Amino acid sequence: MQHSALTHGIIICQRCEKPASIEQDKQQCPRCGTRIHRRKQHSVAYTWALLLASMIMLVPANLLPIMTFKSLGKGDPATIMQGVLQLLEHDMLGIALVVLTASIIIPVMKIIGLIILLLTIQLGWTTNMRQKMLMYHFVEWIGRWSMLDIFVVAILAAIVQLGSLASVTGNTGATAFAAAVIFTMLAANCFDTRLIWDKHLEQLEVFP
Amino acid sequence: MRDRDLASTQPGKFWVCPECDLLMNRRAMPDRHEAHCPRCHSLIISSKHHSIEWTLALAIAGLILFLPANIFPILTLNTLGLSQSETIFLSVKALYDSQLYAVSALVLMSAIIVPLMKLLLMAYLSACLLFHKPAPLLAWAMRSYQQLDSWGMLEIYMLGILVSIVKLVDVADVTPGIGLYSLTGLIIVTLLTSTQLDKHRFWRRIEQLEKR
Repeated sequence: MQHSALTHGIIICQRCEKPASIEQDKQQCPRCGTRIHRRKQHSVAYTWALLLASMIMLVPANLLPIMTFKSLGKGDPATIMQGVLQLLEHDMLGIALVVLTASIIIPVMKIIGLIILLLTIQLGWTTNMRQKMLMYHFVEWIGRWSMLDIFVVAILAAIVQLGSLASVTGNTGATAFAAAVIFTMLAANCFDTRLIWDKHLEQLEVFP
Repeated sequence: MRDRDLASTQPGKFWVCPECDLLMNRRAMPDRHEAHCPRCHSLIISSKHHSIEWTLALAIAGLILFLPANIFPILTLNTLGLSQSETIFLSVKALYDSQLYAVSALVLMSAIIVPLMKLLLMAYLSACLLFHKPAPLLAWAMRSYQQLDSWGMLEIYMLGILVSIVKLVDVADVTPGIGLYSLTGLIIVTLLTSTQLDKHRFWRRIEQLEKR
């Protein structure tokens, strides 16, 4: 029989993972000073809110140009997708795939993954628990890599500054894209995986 | 019901999986062993050999590498007799000049400030723990390190450099500088620091020192 710590009156500090008694709920952890909560507070609501924000930001992030590459005075602002297509035109399939994955596929996959996890909690699904944990860890780990395009814009804008010969400037799409990435990272941080298992346990034992 | 009361009076006798809340009996962990949660398979504890010594050495190495990685040019672009160099700070400035203030602040944070803060916090913390020296702000330092951990993005910056090189290959001649080699070293050291860090041992030591 597997028991949840909470049903035995034990909770842990989110930061240093020191076990504490249920009576210390909402008090400061004696070891690290973080306030202890039995579960992350308002986890589902915060995660939904941040996910919604990142979905909204993804629209301007993909429609607005993120950078302008000017060579001899010519060149138009390009969106993320146009940047990928330009790489394909220059026969750089590998790097085009890296950029496409980091900038478009990963953010969308992350949002879908977190929605599945949230629905798992809200609808009380109790199948494939381990796969869902794996999915969460993947979403949490992969999220930062979407910053790739922002760094590429920053590096190109710094190095391609040859006056009228060639220049790169960043555009507003970059702000929207960065915001979308930050919001999904925060959303993953706000999500509490223990809630998935709580639902599972609710059917097995009585919850206090 | 009695079980429940008994357990909650002695929470220190247990391990709790932080991912799925499974309650386990505490047991001794030998060095260089990992414990996975039997229910959700997440890594609960990974005890490292000489964790404190390693993190101190790595943090100092990282601080030494941080300077050249930020001062010397990472890439230099040469074309038609013109040349332009790039450092991390210049890329922050370039975004600022493009009026992308928020994005430039984000790059400044994730590629310069957070990596530096992480190294400083770890050097301070592991030095104090190694010499058993009670010092102020130990718990704060560990807490801040854990919070900052995922916001340092040097390895992604590195991938950005590689993508930029490929993008520029057709246009101009790009040569790597001392900054790029230092940055590579810095990234390796930062990654090793996070793998060598035994957070449970660190927290236990902090607790011991603060009780004195």
